[in-house]
Amino acid sequence: MSIVAELMNQPGVLAAGEFAYRGDRFSYRGQLDEEQARMLSIVCRATTMTAHMETQLLNNVSTATGLTGVRGWLLRGPGHTLCVYANTFCLFNTHAGSPNRIVRLLTAALADDAMDLI
Amino acid sequence: MATLNQLMALPGAVAAFAFQGDGTLGEHQIAATRLIDPATLALMARMCAANLQIATLQASGWDQQPGTELKGFLPVQDFTLIGLEWSVVVDNAHHTAVVLTNDKSDYEAAFAALER
Repeated sequence: MSIVAELMNQPGVLAAGEFAYRGDRFSYRGQLDEEQARMLSIVCRATTMTAHMETQLLNNVSTATGLTGVRGWLLRGPGHTLCVYANTFCLFNTHAGSPNRIVRLLTAALADDAMDLI
Repeated sequence: MATLNQLMALPGAVAAFAFQGDGTLGEHQIAATRLIDPATLALMARMCAANLQIATLQASGWDQQPGTELKGFLPVQDFTLIGLEWSVVVDNAHHTAVVLTNDKSDYEAAFAALER
């Protein structure tokens, strides 16, 4: 089962998909229309690039931090949470979804994904 | 609001800190200075402030889109950055953050502690 399919099976998940690190390509499943998914993929790419820049800055100051190299991020609101790991995103209901479970699934599936593509 | 002592009691806590809206580092605790030094923590505080602003910008834009699927992010509660070995969980309401090792990280416990 693909990671996107696994995510869609989790409680509270509204949509999941993948985005390209370069360019505007994306794919998704769930409760988004094409335009929403496109907007989301742009945000995922831009924020991941920003996080990559930030961890590089930290690495320049101290090579000892465990933040060197970004793997993902979560944006949590009262209604929805967006989780991004490598080039995969997952949108879920903040109260019905489990961030711990979703991050564990993503880590297990994508931890070995090449980071030099970012 | 959780105290820094309470945040440092979270599994895998490396550091906990408060910061101002402009990213200036405030009170902080570090589990061991060999893990992270105050200068790096100060840069991390700026990063946290910046990410909260970016997240709020994104959420504000989505909130004005038709449909409900991309609403529900305002007000932003937390932004978490997951690095190779550590994660930083940042609370927007109180401008506090905790750094956790990924192998022990319990994000849900961190959210609950930060939002207390």
